Amino acid sequence: MSISIDRRQFLMGSTALLAAAAAGVGPAMSQETRMRLIFWGGQARADRTYGVTDLYTKASPGTTFDGEFLAFADYWPKLATQTAGGNSPDVIQMDYRYIVEYAKRNAIAPLDEFIGNGLNLDDFDKDQLDGGKVDGKLYGISLGANSTAIMVNTTAFEEAGIELPTRDLSYADLPAMAEKWNSSNKRAGMKLWSDYSGGEPGLENWLRQQGKALYTADGLAGFTAEDITAWFQLWADLRAADVIVSPDDQALDATDAIENTMITLGKAPVTYANSNQLIAFQAVNKDKLTMTNYPRIKAGSGGGHYRKPSMFFSLGASSKQQAEGAKFIDYFISNPDAATILGVERGIPCKSSTRDAIKPSLDEQSLVALNFVSNLGDLLGALPPSPPSNAGEVGVALKTKSQEVAFGQQSPQDAGPAFFAQATEILARAKK
Amino acid sequence: MTTDVQRLTVVTEKQTAAVKTRKRLLSILAHVLLIGASILMLYPLLWMLSASLRPENEIFTSTSLWPSAISLDSYFRGWNGLRLGFGTFFINSFTIAILAIIGNLATCSLAAFAFARLEFWGRGFWFAMMLATLMLPYQVTLIPQYVLFHNLGWVNTFLPLVVPKFLAADGFFIFLMVQFFRGIPKELNEAAMMDGCSPWRIYWKILLPLSTPVLATAAIFTFIWTWDDFFGPLIYLSDIRTYTVMLGLRTFVDSSAQSDWGGLFAMSILSLLPIFLFFLFFQRLLIEGIATTGMKR
Amino acid sequence: MTARSIQDANRAPTTERAVSPSVWSQLWSRNAGGYLFLLPWFLGFFGLTLGPMISSLYLSFTNFDLLTAPDWVGPANYVRIFTADPKFSTSMRVTLFFVVFSVPLKLAFALGVALLLNRGMKGLPLYRAVFYLPSLLGASVAIAVLWRQLFAGDGVVNDALAIFGIKGPAWISNPNYSLWTLVVLSVWQFGSPMIIFLAGLRQIPVDMYEAASLDGASKWRQFWKITLPLLTPVVFFNFIIQTIEAFKSFTPAFIISGGTGNPINSTLFYTLYLYQEAFSFFRMGYASALAWILLAIVGFFTAFSFLTSKYWVHYDD
Repeated sequence: MSISIDRRQFLMGSTALLAAAAAGVGPAMSQETRMRLIFWGGQARADRTYGVTDLYTKASPGTTFDGEFLAFADYWPKLATQTAGGNSPDVIQMDYRYIVEYAKRNAIAPLDEFIGNGLNLDDFDKDQLDGGKVDGKLYGISLGANSTAIMVNTTAFEEAGIELPTRDLSYADLPAMAEKWNSSNKRAGMKLWSDYSGGEPGLENWLRQQGKALYTADGLAGFTAEDITAWFQLWADLRAADVIVSPDDQALDATDAIENTMITLGKAPVTYANSNQLIAFQAVNKDKLTMTNYPRIKAGSGGGHYRKPSMFFSLGASSKQQAEGAKFIDYFISNPDAATILGVERGIPCKSSTRDAIKPSLDEQSLVALNFVSNLGDLLGALPPSPPSNAGEVGVALKTKSQEVAFGQQSPQDAGPAFFAQATEILARAKK
Repeated sequence: MTTDVQRLTVVTEKQTAAVKTRKRLLSILAHVLLIGASILMLYPLLWMLSASLRPENEIFTSTSLWPSAISLDSYFRGWNGLRLGFGTFFINSFTIAILAIIGNLATCSLAAFAFARLEFWGRGFWFAMMLATLMLPYQVTLIPQYVLFHNLGWVNTFLPLVVPKFLAADGFFIFLMVQFFRGIPKELNEAAMMDGCSPWRIYWKILLPLSTPVLATAAIFTFIWTWDDFFGPLIYLSDIRTYTVMLGLRTFVDSSAQSDWGGLFAMSILSLLPIFLFFLFFQRLLIEGIATTGMKR
Repeated sequence: MTARSIQDANRAPTTERAVSPSVWSQLWSRNAGGYLFLLPWFLGFFGLTLGPMISSLYLSFTNFDLLTAPDWVGPANYVRIFTADPKFSTSMRVTLFFVVFSVPLKLAFALGVALLLNRGMKGLPLYRAVFYLPSLLGASVAIAVLWRQLFAGDGVVNDALAIFGIKGPAWISNPNYSLWTLVVLSVWQFGSPMIIFLAGLRQIPVDMYEAASLDGASKWRQFWKITLPLLTPVVFFNFIIQTIEAFKSFTPAFIISGGTGNPINSTLFYTLYLYQEAFSFFRMGYASALAWILLAIVGFFTAFSFLTSKYWVHYDD
């Protein structure tokens, strides 16, 4: 180990070494364990994560970290390249969508042998534990629970004199609400609602409220062509009733990137997002934001939401320091000091003891997030099976098809069967 | 390629006052056009500057160029962000860019000389091969290349970014230099050969001195493109101490989480300075080239 | 490596001494110079470039999901591309449109500005730098934000059009116009061909113009009779390179559409689709097949250009 590091340090060049020395992170001693940790996120997440690795190094001297953080879009090509090149990091942040891909291909290691043996999962929420399982084995430890949610611009609603969306709001209520919104005419050009006809989480939530699912456990479509037609029709009606933003505006938001959402761009006071993103949304919005659940399909229907593991830590399959990695993950999810540093930035901690530890130190909006995820009540349904391979491609296809409908190139009646055929073909290809 | 300096002076004397006025008017018109176009070119920079100075929650919501409040916070926060500070990244970017310039100029000009001026068996074939390397999208050679560099133990060092430049791996520059070398009168070449000059001497003593414009062009492009390169560093550099400026910039922002947009724009402005200054300086070579080498004779 | 060897090389091959030891020395003296000068390039080509290229060709005949070993599938990827992949034709159409419009516009712009900036005028270095500025921005994330500010429905461009009473569409997010905003972006970053044109203009001997103006040739005639012919090697270079780059164009679409190619796949560039296949959908084998098809198309186009270049590119040799 030490030899390769020496060579690497040497090859890095003296400039980097000098800079490293100046920053007080000098080259490693030969007895040290160096862990490679990779995650995606912004500066805020990096600061918190490095806060914990520093703490861990203090607590168990001899273990240091080479942390690497990247933007989400850059993260996956790099991780795939590293994995394909046989050079994967020790501790890897994983996404709910990709964990199946990586686990099925043995690119990440099962963690079962470490449970109770370095990894204490006693008061770990069961749904979050299950979310990290693939084919019955545990491949990822959820770093926080999350739920889909809508971000709401409270200032805009107050100006218009309209009551904020409540947890009982249904899609059927939107036209009446929009009429009030449009007649108040407080913010020129702003519509009441974002167009989420292309959002996979929106469709999933809507299907689940009807007792259906986006994907079945064996990786097939959990919906029919008629379902999709109805979904597109729902949005076409909202469009006709002047509830949602124009397709031109909605298309500005290509990837649900926070800076391009309708709420941030000031096109609508409501945007579909995730519960752990409230603080990030607030950072680029002037108006005061809050969040609540997705609309119901009718009064009293529930079960659309679920507590989704926002991200996992997994261990690289080729890592030679898996035991140490498991210990670090345990520290990351259990240690009260670490938890205080992390807050709810990655979602709500999954251990009840950790949740209790952070509560006193949370700011107002973190508390909103914590309370929202903890009190979903009748909105909460069971965790769906993890998405099949190629699910990502289905999501892309949904977005494109929704735009064809929104821009008037295809009617909902044609788009429903067309999308269904497309999704079936994509999912069938994954089976091969 | 004949010249006639005496007759030239006659022409200049012949220029009448009317012609001069017309010239002045034309020049004013040209300036007006150029200044107008410059504003178009400068707008993004002004916008970035204003984004780097304004409060973060205004960046996406305000369309005005003028910030409601001006603060240098983003610069301090950005410079010291990412644990190490941007100073390190600047040093890294400079190191890589300078090495890349040396490598590209030295080895691409050698290859270009061979293609442009020497006859040898298989010249057309190798030239076609060289062009073919330009045509394959890098996305599909990335992983095999990564495996190669990983096996060499070069990952997480500057070597994957620098060594290819010393092996003339960028066909763009070879092709560019070939086109320029072929524009230099061949008589010079042949005369030198008659005098018993070796190809090396022709390359070193005749061709290179006459090629300042294209060498300056290559230097400018290498510096800027290496500086702006993001994908290479993303894939090959993991240790934050080896990060380049561009890689640092990209890590400011993650669209699914809380990002430091102010820091991004502030550091973007700073990262433009070196390449802008480099360009300003080196373009003189590009312009003065021929005039000072006595090419006219 | 003597001057003699070069002279030998230039002579017609002699056939009389067919079988003699000097065949080898003759081969050596004829070819050694070229190969010695190409040595670094050969090292790079065989050591670094060729291997990965061949690997990707091999991978194009496999199912390679990045994380497990590739599976040989024969020509299946190619068959699917040509028979069952609507996105292939969509992305090809988008790319061809981009090539056809962006390359000539960009080159015309670059040449025009280079001619303007080549004359002895005050403040030229600064103008040149300012005109190069957009190209300095490269693939900066800032471009994405900026382009939206300019070309959104309520963007700066439409504000400007409104002065003339024109109500512009939402350029960047409307599938009918979105590709045009990328053409504009490409043309706007015309700095590199401009610099190459400038360097080329500098190489034209001043005395040729002097002689021409003595003969009473107008500026316009000088341009057509001297500047353009002597500039053809550089025009040819810029044309070939810009076309190859336009076919491979990836970054602008990637940053502007967040890697999606939307709205309605209107900006799904070929390489963007290839990238999605490789890194979003874990189908590197399929992506490699796409890449080699692109290489064939671009290679065919380049070879064709080289063949025609005899008729319009003037070299001094």
